[in-house]
Amino acid sequence: MPPKATKGEYIETDTGNKISRRSLIHGPQHIILGGKTVIQADAVIRGDLFRLAHSTSSSSSSLGGGGGGKEQSGSAAAAKTASPSPSVAITLGRYSYVSKQVILRPPSRLHRGVHSFYPLKIGDHVFIGERAVVEAASVGNHVHIGKDVVVGSMAILKDFAYVLDGAVVPPGMVVPSWCVVGGAPARIVGELGEGYGVEGADGGLARDRYRMVGR
Amino acid sequence: MARPFPYTYISCPCAETPTPDPSAKRTSRDLSSKKNAGQSAASESGEEGDEQAFDPRSPRANFSLYPPEQLLFCEDCHQIKCPRCITEEIVCWYCPNCLFETPSSMVRSEGNRCARNCFTCPVCTAPLAVTTLENTTESHAHQGPWILACGYCMWTTLDIGLKFDKPTNIRIQLSKIYENANGRKASKTVSGLKSSLSTLSSMSEQLPGPDEEGDDGSRNPKEQSQLDHNARFAALKTFYRNQIAETSASPTDPLGSDFGAIFSSPSALNRIMSIYTSSTLGGPYGAAAKKQKSKLPVMREALTASEGLKIPPPDAERFIIERVTSPDCGWDGLASMDQRAFQSPDARFVDDLRPLPVLLRTKRSKRCKSCKHILVKPEFKPQSTRFRIRLIALSYIPLSTLRPLVPSPYPGQLPSSTTSPSISAPSLDALEPSKPIQFLLTLKNHLFDPVNVTLATPSLTPGRVTSKITILCPQFELGANSDVWDEALQNATATADRSSRSGSGFEKVAEAGKVWDKGRNWTTVVLEVVPGTLPGSSPRPTLQLGGKKVHDARETSDKWENTSPLREDEDVIEIPIFVRLEWDSENQMIEQPMGKGQKPETIKRELAYWMVLGAGRIKSEDASL
Ligand SMILES: [Zn+2]
Ligand SMILES: [Zn+2]
Ligand SMILES: [Zn+2]
Ligand SMILES: [Zn+2]
Repeated sequence: MPPKATKGEYIETDTGNKISRRSLIHGPQHIILGGKTVIQADAVIRGDLFRLAHSTSSSSSSLGGGGGGKEQSGSAAAAKTASPSPSVAITLGRYSYVSKQVILRPPSRLHRGVHSFYPLKIGDHVFIGERAVVEAASVGNHVHIGKDVVVGSMAILKDFAYVLDGAVVPPGMVVPSWCVVGGAPARIVGELGEGYGVEGADGGLARDRYRMVGR
Repeated sequence: MARPFPYTYISCPCAETPTPDPSAKRTSRDLSSKKNAGQSAASESGEEGDEQAFDPRSPRANFSLYPPEQLLFCEDCHQIKCPRCITEEIVCWYCPNCLFETPSSMVRSEGNRCARNCFTCPVCTAPLAVTTLENTTESHAHQGPWILACGYCMWTTLDIGLKFDKPTNIRIQLSKIYENANGRKASKTVSGLKSSLSTLSSMSEQLPGPDEEGDDGSRNPKEQSQLDHNARFAALKTFYRNQIAETSASPTDPLGSDFGAIFSSPSALNRIMSIYTSSTLGGPYGAAAKKQKSKLPVMREALTASEGLKIPPPDAERFIIERVTSPDCGWDGLASMDQRAFQSPDARFVDDLRPLPVLLRTKRSKRCKSCKHILVKPEFKPQSTRFRIRLIALSYIPLSTLRPLVPSPYPGQLPSSTTSPSISAPSLDALEPSKPIQFLLTLKNHLFDPVNVTLATPSLTPGRVTSKITILCPQFELGANSDVWDEALQNATATADRSSRSGSGFEKVAEAGKVWDKGRNWTTVVLEVVPGTLPGSSPRPTLQLGGKKVHDARETSDKWENTSPLREDEDVIEIPIFVRLEWDSENQMIEQPMGKGQKPETIKRELAYWMVLGAGRIKSEDASL
């Protein structure tokens, strides 16, 4: 074995998730990992920012009341997004990779005077680069998010979207499939080749990436 | 996209056709490659490879090197196809914001822009969101008025005094607002002028008199300057269409139908010819034509605001300058060049900026330029990521991966230990000069036939900074690819297999002529690199610049010697490798996965191309100076 990280840096779950012990996961009961997901050190995952009926502006403390939240949100008239269980704050798909110091934060919106959180859904084979801050509403499969990227609130990154390093995806932006965005504010600057995402080539390295973690 | 090390680029063979060769040789080669495009071109490029190595630093190389996933493959030409070797056809238009399709019949009338509620911020280009002005509580049934707001720079349509009654059909509402604004401002003058439009258009003699002009001139130009750009264009268009209709000889003249036709249509030529013939020829025809012609009004230019004429007020420039210099405008009040590029030509200030409907994007199918065979055909629906046809190079040429031998196989990506920047992981962004480093080059076969691979590389990388390259085993075989399901089944065992190998391989020593590692459809060989020393680190201070410059001027080739400082990316080790693949394939169809039975007939296939591996960047000693 090559001289590697301190043994046991990662907690490996039954479904093969590799989670660094030095990551900061808030409200784990509101987070769903798809299996074989990697979460690196110092990543911050804010599962505690799940939807409540009334203002959750200062609810950074992880409230364990998932059931309570459900009840309350049921009373809220504006249950627009059809999420089966509103207490899920963050979903991360298979082979998705969260680099060091990434911040995953459910998006929020002021709707009719009420500030409420919406779930953050991240698909399979997604790569999120170091120090990126992701507040998207949804991130599709095979999406690449470069390092130091900011993905604004309620943004939607479709499958095979590619966000260049340092880009700032403005709130509410939609990045279509196969499109490359960059800059601040991010705009479409190019398209990916048809071979992107082929297993083993660029965009198709998620399995390899997973395998290398903690070895 | 600048890629992190290590990376692979593949040179499309199309770049070799116009190389500056002796002309005779080139023409002969062109002919031959036209005759039997595929194989001969491949073999010839092979011959050429012996002659001169591919130089990744040459200015031309930029135009032929592509990341492998961008390359396609034409089965008919049996050749790699880069974006320069293909033609594209639009499959559908869609809005990148709402992802709705715009039917091709609508695209033109909508100006290639989304007709829905999608707008971009005129200040920063971020998408605009439709929001209520008052974030009212639920008790209020009535919402709105509505505005468009940028979530990035916080610009809103309120900044230009625009509000909407409904949150839908914003683009129609916007155009109505623009129209109304024009209508209200220009109505007084335009309506008055409109009545005289018919008379005006009939003859050019009705030029506004001097007093009339003075009368209008005080009032009119200001109103005109308010006239919307689009409205003025439309007015001009209709004006000229009417002019054509009125000045053309007969009412059935096809010229009147469309404005564009007059300049391109051959009937315009007929008309001109008929004028000539009618005037030169005598007789009843000629006379009649002459008579008719004299009656016809002469085509004229637009004269009034309603016709689309715009006379800038004499003090317009002064007004703008005054406003620019005034303290309440300032730098921030001026629209930037980038902003103005997409606005009306009159827009000078930030208040003149209007929200922009989102430009449409396209999904395109791709064809081989030489044989017209379709290479890529995406699914029709804008949101689908599937392809009906997708002949990518990666399913034909082996996928190559490079990684440094000793330490973690993924250096740039994930040195998973945070605290210890361990000695074992050499950063590929700072390779020690003259210190040999070994890389593992893995080629993975995607064909269903075993492939013989020959790799060739110049022993020294081209350019001023020469690194020494040795491929320890340049000839090897790649096993055949098998079915996806087999792969899936074997995957678990294969990885375990591999891990044990690399575990033991840590003590393994690379040997010349021997393959490092081998799997079902992949082979790994060792590549040894001795990074060159960067110029200028030591000899630069000793040089006399003046004398050397004269020398440079005389001999341009000398420039490549040690004189000039390091150019951009000259410290990057890019290894050109000539890859030659040979395999026996079943007759015609290479890619049929049903080739499991006995092989009745085989064809020798051959493919050759240049590949460039970006191994890393040489550490600069200057940094310490
Ligand atoms: Zn090409
Ligand atoms: Zn749209
Ligand atoms: Zn903006
Ligand atoms: Zn072709």
